[in-house]
Amino acid sequence: MFRQTLTKEWLDAKRQGQLWWLCLIASLLLLLACTTGWQNYQSYQSDAYDVAQQEQTRWLNQGEKGPHSAAHYGIYVIKPATPLVALDDGLQAYQGNVVRLEAHTRNDGMFRTVQDNLPMARFGSLTPAFVLQVLLPLLILLIGYPMFASEREQGTLKQLLASGVEPLQLFAAKCCVLFAIAATLLLPVIVYLLFIQFEQNESAKLAYRSAGFFVVYISYVALWSIITIAISCLLKSSRRSLIVLLTIWALSTLLIPKLAMNYSTGVYPLDSNQAFQNRLKREVYTDHREMAFERFEQSLLQKYAVSSTSELPFDFAGARLQFGEQYADAIFDRLFGERLEQLQSQTDSYFLASLLSPMIAVQSLSMAFSASDFHHHQHFLARAELHRRMMQRVLNHNQRDHAHKSEGQYVANLSLWQQIPKFEYHPPAFTDLTHHYRVNWFSLVLWLTASLLLGTFAVRKLTKEPLR
Amino acid sequence: MQTQPKRPVIQIDNLVKTFADHTALQGLSLTVNQGEILALLGPNGAGKTTTINCLLGFLKPDKGRISVAGYSPQEDVALVRKQLAYIPEQVALYPRLSGLENLVYFSKIAKVAMADCDLRALLEIVSLPNHAIDKPVSSYSKGMRQKVGIAIALAKKSKALILDEPTSGLDPSASHEFSQLIQRLARQGVAILMATHDLFRAQEDAHRVAIINRGKLVETIHYQQLQETQLEAHYLKHIKVGA
Repeated sequence: MFRQTLTKEWLDAKRQGQLWWLCLIASLLLLLACTTGWQNYQSYQSDAYDVAQQEQTRWLNQGEKGPHSAAHYGIYVIKPATPLVALDDGLQAYQGNVVRLEAHTRNDGMFRTVQDNLPMARFGSLTPAFVLQVLLPLLILLIGYPMFASEREQGTLKQLLASGVEPLQLFAAKCCVLFAIAATLLLPVIVYLLFIQFEQNESAKLAYRSAGFFVVYISYVALWSIITIAISCLLKSSRRSLIVLLTIWALSTLLIPKLAMNYSTGVYPLDSNQAFQNRLKREVYTDHREMAFERFEQSLLQKYAVSSTSELPFDFAGARLQFGEQYADAIFDRLFGERLEQLQSQTDSYFLASLLSPMIAVQSLSMAFSASDFHHHQHFLARAELHRRMMQRVLNHNQRDHAHKSEGQYVANLSLWQQIPKFEYHPPAFTDLTHHYRVNWFSLVLWLTASLLLGTFAVRKLTKEPLR
Repeated sequence: MQTQPKRPVIQIDNLVKTFADHTALQGLSLTVNQGEILALLGPNGAGKTTTINCLLGFLKPDKGRISVAGYSPQEDVALVRKQLAYIPEQVALYPRLSGLENLVYFSKIAKVAMADCDLRALLEIVSLPNHAIDKPVSSYSKGMRQKVGIAIALAKKSKALILDEPTSGLDPSASHEFSQLIQRLARQGVAILMATHDLFRAQEDAHRVAIINRGKLVETIHYQQLQETQLEAHYLKHIKVGA
C-alpha cells in the first residue's frame, strides 16, 4: 500500500508544477542558509582561535611587572563554537562570547555580535534553524493540505474506500509520503551533519550532538506531517484544510513563541546590564568590606603574634588582595546567582510554552544541541569565572609569598605568567545538561503523541463517519 | 435476457435509515442474484443513493440486514468492499494520472495481482481508445472515464458491481457501449445493482427492475414482464401514487 501510494503521489506530484517550485525554493533557501552558516562558523572559529593565540602571546609577553598589575592587565577569553552553530546559532549573536578576566571584577560576556550589526540586519537573518523551524512546516502543510481533502472533493476517497482500502493504511501511507518528501528537504542538513563528523576531529560528543539534532528535526517533520494529513482527513474541503493548517502554523511558529517570550520577560523582569554592574559595585565596595579587611588584618596579627603587618612572614598586601577577591567572590556568587535564577525563571517559563507550541520545544533543543543556548552560555561564563579566580589566586599568592623578600618594588616575570594555564573551553557533554531540557523533551514527545492521537481520531472518523 | 439468475449475492432485508429530518429508507428489501442486473428506479430522494451507501458501508442502517456475498457491511465492511466494485455517476479518477496509471493504482490498492500489461489489455477490452490510455484523465470524456471505472471493476474480479447513475450524461453511443460492457460482466456471473433514472437502459439491460419511492420498494418487474410492459407508464403510475 505504501509503495503504491508513494508511486501514485510521486506521479501526481511530478506533474504538479507548483510543488516543484516550492521544493526547489525551500532546498535553495536551506542550502544557502547552510552555506552561510558554515562560512560564519568558520570565520568565527578562526577569529576565536586567533584571539586566543594573540591573548596568550600578549599575556606571556607582558614583561616584568607586579602580579597585581598583571591581574589588572587581564586576559580576554573567547567561547569556541560547535560546528552545529552553523545550523543553529541560537543566542550566539545576543550573548557576548568574549569575557575579560581581571582583578576584582566578574565580567559578563561582551562584544555581542548584534552590536556590530547594521540596522538592516534586524529585517531577518536566514539561518538553517529558521528555515527548519518556521519555513519547513509551512512547506509541509502547503504540500499536504489537499492530500486527503482534495481526494474527498474529487470523489476518489470514496472510490478508494469502496475498493477495500483500509483507512488506517491509507492514512499511514499518505503520512509516510508527506514525511518522505519533507525529510528529503532535510538532505542538506544531513549532508552537513555527516560532513562535520569527518571534518572535525572532535570526540564522540559531536556525534551525539549531531544525532540529537537530527532526531529533534526528524521528529518535528514527522509531527507536522501527521498533523497536516490528519487535518486534511478531518475537514471536508481542501480550502478549509489549508485555512486551519495555516492558522495552526501561524499560532505555533509566530504568535505563541512571541507571546511566551513577552510573558516570560514581563513576569520575570531583569535589571539592565548597566544597572546590574552598578549594583555589583555598590554591594562590593561598602563599609562592611572595610570592616572585613580590618577583621582579617587583626586575625593575622593575632595568629602570628605580631603587632604590625610588616612583621608578618609574608607580604600582607598579597594576602589582603586575595582576601578581597574571596570577599567579592561571595557577593558575585550571590548576585549572579540571583540574576541567573531570574534568567532561569524566564527560560523555564518560555520552555513551558512548548506545551502550546512544538516549535518552542524544537527551537530550545536545537539550540541546546548546537550549544548556542542560555545554559551553554552560562556554563562557559562559569568556567571563565573559575579560570579568573584561579588566575587571581596564583597571582595574589605569588605576591604574598615573594613580595616581602624583594628590595624595592616586587616584579614578577614570564615564569609566573607561564604558571597561568591557557584557558581551554569545551562545551559540556549534552547528557550533563539533559535535565535542563526535560520540559522540551516532554513537550516534543507529547506533541508527537497528540499528533498520533489526532491521526487515530481522523482514521476512526474516516472509518465510521458516513460519506455522502 | 439470456443468463439464468443464480444464487443471491446482494441481499437487503427490511432496511431502515433515518436522517435527522427525514426517513430515507422504510423497510426496503431487495435481492440481486449472481449474473443478474437489477435496475433500481426511483425519483430523486427515493433512497437509491442511501441504499448504495449502506451497501458500501458508508452509512450505517438503523434497522435491517445487508449481505454481500455472505458478508455484512455492518459487521465487516472491509470484507464487503473486497467483494464488490462501485462505479459512481462521476467516476472519480486522478486527473493528472493517465487511465492506465489510475487503473494500476486502484487495482494495486485493492490488492489485485495483475501485471501492468494485463491491466492495459483490460482498457482495450473496455474499448478505451489506444491513444488515450497513456494520456492524463483530465483530457477524458465522461464516457472514457466510465470505461476506466469499468476496467477497475473488471480488474477487481468482484462478485458484485454497484452502479450509481452510470449512463447519466453519456451520449447514446457511449451509453450503448457501456451497456454492452455491463452485460458482459453479468454473463461472467457478476451481480449488478444499477441505480438509474434511465428507463430505456433499464428496460434494455436489466433482468429485473425494482421501483422504489420514498424509501419503499413499490414494485419489482421481471425480464419477461419488461418485454411486455411499457416501463415508463408503469414507473410514472407508481411515482404518482406515491407522491
